[in-house]
Amino acid sequence: MLAAYLQYWRINLLTFLEYRANFVMWALFTVVYHGTALLALVVTMQNFPSMNGWNVREVFFLYSLWMLGQEFHNAVFFNVVNVPDFVREGRFDRFLVRPFDTLFQVLTVPQQLFPDGLILATITFAFATMVTHVTVDALFFVLVPLVAIGGALIDFGISLLVAAASFWFIRVDTIRWVVMSLEQEFTRYPISIYQRGVRIILAFVLPFAFTNYFPATFLLHKSETALNLAPWVGVLTPAIGLLWFGVAYVVWRIGLQHYQGTGS
Amino acid sequence: MNFSRAFAPYLEFAKKAFAREATYRIEVFSEIGSLVLRVYLVRSLWTALYLQNAAPINLPLHAMITYATVALLMSLILEVDGTRLIRDKIRDGSIATDLMKPISVPFYLFSDGFGRTALHAFTIIPSLLLALLLVRIDVPPVPVLLWFSLSFAIGYCVNFLLNFLMNAVAFWTIESFAAQLIVRWTSDLLSGSIIPLTFFPSFLGRLVFALPFAAIYSTPLLIYVGVASPADYTRMVGVQLAWLALFGVISYATWRAAERRIVVQGG
Repeated sequence: MLAAYLQYWRINLLTFLEYRANFVMWALFTVVYHGTALLALVVTMQNFPSMNGWNVREVFFLYSLWMLGQEFHNAVFFNVVNVPDFVREGRFDRFLVRPFDTLFQVLTVPQQLFPDGLILATITFAFATMVTHVTVDALFFVLVPLVAIGGALIDFGISLLVAAASFWFIRVDTIRWVVMSLEQEFTRYPISIYQRGVRIILAFVLPFAFTNYFPATFLLHKSETALNLAPWVGVLTPAIGLLWFGVAYVVWRIGLQHYQGTGS
Repeated sequence: MNFSRAFAPYLEFAKKAFAREATYRIEVFSEIGSLVLRVYLVRSLWTALYLQNAAPINLPLHAMITYATVALLMSLILEVDGTRLIRDKIRDGSIATDLMKPISVPFYLFSDGFGRTALHAFTIIPSLLLALLLVRIDVPPVPVLLWFSLSFAIGYCVNFLLNFLMNAVAFWTIESFAAQLIVRWTSDLLSGSIIPLTFFPSFLGRLVFALPFAAIYSTPLLIYVGVASPADYTRMVGVQLAWLALFGVISYATWRAAERRIVVQGG
């Protein structure tokens, strides 16, 4: 399986080299996508320097931590968002008759993938760490990659649930984009700006707050004021990620049992 | 008589596009749902920011929430890419047969886009009603509303032509989608749909007001919330019209060049 996975990355990078001009445009889009969001944030906070006790550098750090998990997800798990297309076009059935795990096969359909977003996220995060007073010690180097993986798993869980929904309903494209953009917008700010009910949803129902808010609170040595939880909650992100992914994977398996194909 | 006969097919195109768009019910509902969540988001954000910081002089909290909510409602119309059909038709080659039909292809595209936009315009009503459960929106006096409508209509046309130009890039390179998204995201920020352009500091502020994107959201919205004074209306709408004229000329030239290119290639 590992050999197959390495082979997948080899094909990916080779096809990527074939379409360099195209790649430049998509890489540029990644820069613009995050750049416009960050510029809006910086301009807003020039006019309003405090967001519930978070200054512009801390909100920037919050964004960059979300970005790290999100771009990790995009680099490794992104193919899962194509499942609804595979199902609709009848291309999904071939995964069912091959001797590898179905989800593994979905994740290894060669695209022209290059982890440019992850590289950009790493640079952005390093910069955000420099401008804030985060303690860079051994714990930092252990925790940050784990938080990124945990965040990626939370995002992956969501993508997987949307993908599984396509086994029951054929058209889920809009729901996918709505979920993705709402996630980005709602995780951009400290969750203390929302009402209590929404904070609880973001922490425990759709655990987006674990992708960035809780770990950022911990790393920035801030006190957690949204739900008055202990600071160490922020280190739970990898566990929450695994749990959330586990739940999504069960739903995915149930969906596979249910799947009958569209007949196209 | 002649006019209405010439016009009839385009009305049919628009009706067909409207009906086609109406079949995607889940899309329409999720569009309304996500809009309501965004209204909640902007309310939470600006309320928190105004609570702890000094308010900008000419934009108190209720005006800011009005600005953000009206911008979201406008986006229901402005986010519809009225000319996406071009890209699809170039990709599958059907643009060649369309050019042979006894119709004006640009008008066909406009009718199709208009029909699709009309459906999304209807979603403004339920969205507005649901939004009003969450926020209060200022309603300016009637003359201001009329200026706003005029300015919004011009902004719609500028946006339509901008989309047209981006989609027309597909005549020259097949993979134009990334370029289009880049322009879309840039435009979202620089048009004032996310934050008022008056928030941009000195030099950046002058720059963003000098760009055509400001004609799409910023001008109508600044009129609506009363940041712009009535004395400035004529000048502001005049600038919008100038951008519209410029984009019109560029679009026309682009279309002619594209048409010639297809004929030369032999379809």
